Amino acid sequence: MALSACSFPAHVDKATISDLQKYGYVPSRSLWRTDLLAQSLGRLNQAKSKKGPGGICASLSERGEYHSQRPPTPLLDTTNYPIHMKNLSIKELKQLADELRSDVIFNVSRTGGHLGSSLGVVELTVALHYVFSAPRDKILWDVGHQSYPHKILTGRREKMYTIRQTNGLSGFTKRSESEYDCFGTGHSSTTISAGLGMAVGRDLKGKKNNVVAVIGDGAMTAGQAYEAMNNAGYLDSDMIVILNDNKQVSLPTATLDGPIPPVGALSSALSRLQSNRPLRELREVAKGVTKQIGGPMHEWAAKVDEYARGMISGSGSTLFEELGLYYIGPVDGHNIDDLIAILKEVKSTKTTGPVLIHVVTEKGRGYPYAEKAADKYHGVTKFDPATGKQFKGSAITQSYTTYFAEALIAEAEVDKDIVAIHAAMGGGTGLNLFLRRFPTRCFDVGIAEQHAVTFAAGLACEGLKPFCAIYSSFMQRAYDQVVHDVDLQKLPVRFAMDRAGLVGADGPTHCGAFDVTFMACLPNMVVMAPSDEAELFHMVATAAAIDDRPSCFRYPRGNGVGVQLPPGNKGIPLEVGKGRILIEGERVALLGYGTAVQSCLAAASLVEPHGLLITVADARFCKPLDHTLIRSLAKSHEVLITVEEGSIGGFGSHVAHFLALDGLLDGKLKWRPLVLPDRYIDHGSPSVQLIEAGLTPSHVAATVLNILGNKREALQIMSS
Amino acid sequence: MRSYGLIIPGSDASRFCFSSTVASPTVTSKSDPILRFKPVTRFPRASFKTKAAVQERIAADMSFYELLGITESGTLIEIKQAYKQLARKYHPDVSPPDQVEEYTQRFIQVQEAYETLSDPRRRALYDRDMARGLHLAFSARRRYQNDEELGVRGKWKNRWEDQLSELKRRSMNKDAEGNMSWAARMRRQRERMSQEV
Repeated sequence: MALSACSFPAHVDKATISDLQKYGYVPSRSLWRTDLLAQSLGRLNQAKSKKGPGGICASLSERGEYHSQRPPTPLLDTTNYPIHMKNLSIKELKQLADELRSDVIFNVSRTGGHLGSSLGVVELTVALHYVFSAPRDKILWDVGHQSYPHKILTGRREKMYTIRQTNGLSGFTKRSESEYDCFGTGHSSTTISAGLGMAVGRDLKGKKNNVVAVIGDGAMTAGQAYEAMNNAGYLDSDMIVILNDNKQVSLPTATLDGPIPPVGALSSALSRLQSNRPLRELREVAKGVTKQIGGPMHEWAAKVDEYARGMISGSGSTLFEELGLYYIGPVDGHNIDDLIAILKEVKSTKTTGPVLIHVVTEKGRGYPYAEKAADKYHGVTKFDPATGKQFKGSAITQSYTTYFAEALIAEAEVDKDIVAIHAAMGGGTGLNLFLRRFPTRCFDVGIAEQHAVTFAAGLACEGLKPFCAIYSSFMQRAYDQVVHDVDLQKLPVRFAMDRAGLVGADGPTHCGAFDVTFMACLPNMVVMAPSDEAELFHMVATAAAIDDRPSCFRYPRGNGVGVQLPPGNKGIPLEVGKGRILIEGERVALLGYGTAVQSCLAAASLVEPHGLLITVADARFCKPLDHTLIRSLAKSHEVLITVEEGSIGGFGSHVAHFLALDGLLDGKLKWRPLVLPDRYIDHGSPSVQLIEAGLTPSHVAATVLNILGNKREALQIMSS
Repeated sequence: MRSYGLIIPGSDASRFCFSSTVASPTVTSKSDPILRFKPVTRFPRASFKTKAAVQERIAADMSFYELLGITESGTLIEIKQAYKQLARKYHPDVSPPDQVEEYTQRFIQVQEAYETLSDPRRRALYDRDMARGLHLAFSARRRYQNDEELGVRGKWKNRWEDQLSELKRRSMNKDAEGNMSWAARMRRQRERMSQEV
């Protein structure tokens, strides 16, 4: 470890090392470092062009150089659990925060992950763990992608290099991972509800710990947060809600052309709170008046104070006050003194009821590349800390997300009624591309999937053609709206469900396993899935053409397979309820749904050396099923295997249902389903997850051979 | 009494001599009508013009525009020209020896006037204050501006400190018998049980 390295706070001028010593900023136990500090500062000053691991310190200054090796973190090295922080002074806590920040940057640079949000809450994390005593005190992190500093401080620092990888730490909080993670998050806006539950549970059991729920201003746009605050105000149980306001609502926090202003009316209310200049003179007046008059006027003055408080504090805080939460703030979220003072005060007050502390932070703070980036480095791949350049993998094809956006743009060019709706996921759904092309026809409703669906239903009533692009896993939130507002009334809303199936590093919280099941059981819904990107273009066109009933299609995370795209990105509407046969064979038929068809094709080539030429068909539609195709496959083959990347109750079940009703199971047909197993698959790389799920081409091929009785060859395939 | 940065206590008497008149209880020629019944109040008011009118017109009383000899809508070029002229006139090196002190003060005032008026942001602030009738002393204005910049965070601090003390006050009454919320009932129950034990 390079001895001449040190860590500096971002705002410290390099020349003030003597000042630092004067103010005792450099802790006494590391006095031996001061001349080394001077040396390295000198080197910093001259070595502007020198990059690389040559002993330059990982200081967080603007012209700083960043270490390719682990930056030295003397104080953080002694802090494995929050209890080790309890004896630190405020100055040491500030140093700890800086070391923590450089550690987060270093770790994320090696593994990829969520950077900006974690950097914004470093000081808040330090303050929370200093003032409160986790795990007895419950600290909940909404969404969880900002919990990296929390994980580092709670005993998981050595495992940070495994974050978001197979068998490693989860990228979000997870109860089974550590007792310090009190609630599993991943979807947003759940912490106030969960925190209230924990507070009420504590009251019922007679315990005396604190409950703190950290929620961002983006998550605050979801209705559940208000449901929870409403209830919290009513129940009046002691708890602390920390509103982490960084003016970033949508993800990634930028369009293609620049930063996104926060969506929603609430954000402007919150920013008015910050810029509000209270009429302090008026309050001083009142105080002066009552001092002069004295006596019984004090009670009257207290009343005036309360009313004045409503006037002075601005309209935003009255919103929280009306819901029953006591509003404190705004507070500078990067000032550890302030944070600790406030948290200590609130903690020491005997009975508070629910309190909301409005903390203002900056996403990506402390890492200049993140601060300047339009998306604040929200989610990054591995990058080089010195330059901030991410290592983007090179792929021949683009992602399904991009193809979807291009398909939708092509459709919208021709049809003026097509509009797109998403829930604060402009980048993740690819609709930022659509927004750039059609700025008035793309709607970002904030993190409000339920509203998005009903909003789309309303649009459909007026004759527009809304495309709701919501991740498969987030669609779960809006299920009632899909059933009641869309399907029951047969409104032609189109649902584009991205991230269907297994999603890799984000894990089970973002996994889209259930959408076939819950969409295909609805009476009026057309359910389809493309097997490759060309099919995706056609299905977007098909969905645009279906104007009398709702429809949906699902596509996975990842890149296309490399087939030829339709000319001009314009797909041709498919015939609804018709699948296709890709390979004609005999004896065994693989009926795939969605991108599982690719696994089927690969499996077909795996069994070919064993003398089997099997049929591979692409069902395209789960609802309405292609009865003709299934009948013909069932009658001309011995074995029918349905393959899909979804849970039980989806495509395979619908096929089985039809086979049974049609009498096709009464003969000699053997039917086998291949679905995702009945358990949650942990985060990891997509290929490993697929192996874990048992849906790789090898698995499919082995299943084929097993059924035919060639068990030995099946084993051969599995072990190769 | 805090003077909101309008006056620097203990500064040069000749420039800030109206600070002494604030202390004097007799100067209440234009009392705030609401508090007329409190003649002795050392009440901070928006306009100090009345006090300034009592003494003789001193340099500090002139607005920056009057000092530079230009109209309120003077352009930057005019401001520059005026400043250059006056600077040449009042510079200590070229001023007549018996008036060095006074001319030096003038020079400083002229310089400050130029600094304020040539910076559009500061000029806007100054114009706004003038419209409100605030005639701020020269270097006091500088202080006030610095306060404003780091004042946002400072104001926040004042605000949340107030809020914290209010929270403390409210918590006294939180568990009074009148409060029927669920948690208040639970807390009272817990209190009773712990007292029994």
